[in-house]
Amino acid sequence: MIKLLAVIERDIKKFLRNPVVIMMSLVMPLLYLVILGNSFQGKFRGIPIAVVNQDSATYATRMIENLRAIEAGAKTFSIYYLKDQGAAVEGVKSGIYKAALIIPPDFSRRVVLNRKPELGLFIDNTDNISAEAVRNSVNGSIQAVRQEYVPIRERPDEIHLRSIDLYSMVDYYQSLVPGVVIMAIFMGTMTSGVFNIVMDKFLGTNESYLLAPISRGTIVLGLIISGLIITTITALAVFGISMLITGIPLSRGMDQGITILLVVVMTTLALLSMMFVFLGRANHPRVVGIFSGFLNVIFFFPSGAVYPIESFPDWLKAFSRINPEAYAVHALKSVLFKDAGLRVVSGDIIFLLAFTALMMVLAITTFKRTL
Amino acid sequence: MQAVAVNMQKQNSIEVSSLTKKFADITAVDDVSFTVAEGEFFGFLGPNGAGKTTLIRILTTLLKPTSGKAVVSCCDVSKDPENVRRRIGVVPQAMTSDMDLTGYENMDIYGRFYSIPNKQRQEKIKYLLEVVGLANRAGDLVATYSGGMRRRLEIARALVHTPEILFLDEPTLGLDPQSRRVVWGFLEKFRKDITLTVFLTTHYMEEAESLCDRVAIIDAGKIIALDSPEKLKAQIPGNDIIFITLADASYMDAIKAAIEKIPFVHKVQAQEEVLRIYVDSGAQNLASLLEHVKAAGGTVGSVGIHQQTLEDVFIHFTGKGIREEEAKKVSFLIGAGVPRTLGR
Repeated sequence: MIKLLAVIERDIKKFLRNPVVIMMSLVMPLLYLVILGNSFQGKFRGIPIAVVNQDSATYATRMIENLRAIEAGAKTFSIYYLKDQGAAVEGVKSGIYKAALIIPPDFSRRVVLNRKPELGLFIDNTDNISAEAVRNSVNGSIQAVRQEYVPIRERPDEIHLRSIDLYSMVDYYQSLVPGVVIMAIFMGTMTSGVFNIVMDKFLGTNESYLLAPISRGTIVLGLIISGLIITTITALAVFGISMLITGIPLSRGMDQGITILLVVVMTTLALLSMMFVFLGRANHPRVVGIFSGFLNVIFFFPSGAVYPIESFPDWLKAFSRINPEAYAVHALKSVLFKDAGLRVVSGDIIFLLAFTALMMVLAITTFKRTL
Repeated sequence: MQAVAVNMQKQNSIEVSSLTKKFADITAVDDVSFTVAEGEFFGFLGPNGAGKTTLIRILTTLLKPTSGKAVVSCCDVSKDPENVRRRIGVVPQAMTSDMDLTGYENMDIYGRFYSIPNKQRQEKIKYLLEVVGLANRAGDLVATYSGGMRRRLEIARALVHTPEILFLDEPTLGLDPQSRRVVWGFLEKFRKDITLTVFLTTHYMEEAESLCDRVAIIDAGKIIALDSPEKLKAQIPGNDIIFITLADASYMDAIKAAIEKIPFVHKVQAQEEVLRIYVDSGAQNLASLLEHVKAAGGTVGSVGIHQQTLEDVFIHFTGKGIREEEAKKVSFLIGAGVPRTLGR
């Protein structure tokens, strides 16, 4: 016990003497929240599109009005009016506009005569997502061209779907908070725990510890416990701050708090022991660097933190079933957004427990006690 | 734990028989056997890459031998490493103290690895830091220490649990001559104060000569000579060595053949334009020797006489000097070298 405490104390002291690392492990996950929140939000604004109107009759004008309504309202695109169709298409090709909409001279006439009216849309399809956004907006404008008036009242003969939100509204930023907490845990487990062994090996200090009468189990366990303490505290700090930034209420008090703590602790343990298995024999910090970038992508993106698991192909769904971060995200989302108690997330916690146990055994047995 | 050690009343602290360690196709330690008596100051002398560090790492349980047996203090190093670790103190070649901790904390955490009770530990650390002259810097981070201070701290740390055997792997490597003498000073002091077997590796002749009761000379993984420094020196023919540097090396073979026939010359070694001549009464015979050289057609550039040291013993047995360039692939790969030079 005295030996285990010595390993833990050494590690925590070393961490505390490195204020830059402390700052980084707090600030970086929060920056992640801000950057990720803004880069995936998916609302386009001001996509430049060229419009060439060769028809001066009613329906062409109405079409233009509809586009203007989008430009003024949702601000999906900005419209540039051109006279020459060739110049508009060239403009798209040279990247000035994302798309060129051509309203042909006989458009209104064909609408009136019901003779397959057509509009031309030349679109830069190299970026799928923005192309789709433009196409959808223009399509929406076309649907409204024939409507003479806006219906004020619901029609009694139409079938309606009434959707009821079970939980309070979760905006995009808030939905990222579980992911950000997982990110903080991931970063913590990467810079504590097994990383200390790799660093000691690199600096040569490990030699002196291997010379002392401490067992493999004590070394591994000590480093995992100190990593747990460091990581849990930073993850909870990150959690607290991101709750304040995004305004998630902690409505259920103690019960919710304890469940969150339990999920954070279990996730940390699972990741710490997994890192030990992967990196217990690495002998250069560079290996950790390469690995951390890789592992982060491998575990974070298929965790459901950014995009729902239901949208994954089958093989990726299968991977999510053994991804500890997926369970962690599910548990945190349930606790935060569905006010779920311990019982709802117990499945997640049991998985994390089993995962940790397996990894811990592997970590201790594969750890090399000699140089 | 301590009581057991006393009851054992062992004659030998270290017993090594037919110890071999191979790394892929390199044999770093090659069928080595020797014993070290309790309380003895034993030195391993050899150039870089000779296998010293590998040997010390096997004896201190850091590496497993390929074959052979090593008993340190009480137990076989491969069968019961835990018990060996409890009884030995080790100063590794690399600086292994923790830079982010203070000198005291380094000692304290290490002491706790040996489960030394609080009060006893504090007193011991205080005493040791006093002896190595670091008491006033105990509260400073090791990162602020000089190389010599770090080395002294590591020697103190290796003694915190009162080991039976102290292993030192090149303890004065990289230290300036003054710091080197300081380190020698308290190694001798510790030895006087407590019954301590010391096992030291070095490539400094002076260190082996002034500190060790017995010295083993190791080259390419094999022990080539083992005795007290005095007896080792006595094995070299003659009692002086005369160096003659020739102006040019063209008649070298003829000159060598000519002077080898002189009665007071025991042995001649030629290296480029330098002749190394083992003689009796060098000062008296110098003039006669130079005449022989001239007669054989040599032009003398410079001359020197010196008394034999362990270095000459090494050269006598191996035909080469101990120099830094001797470092071969072996030490580059598995010796203490690589990571240290990359580290801080």
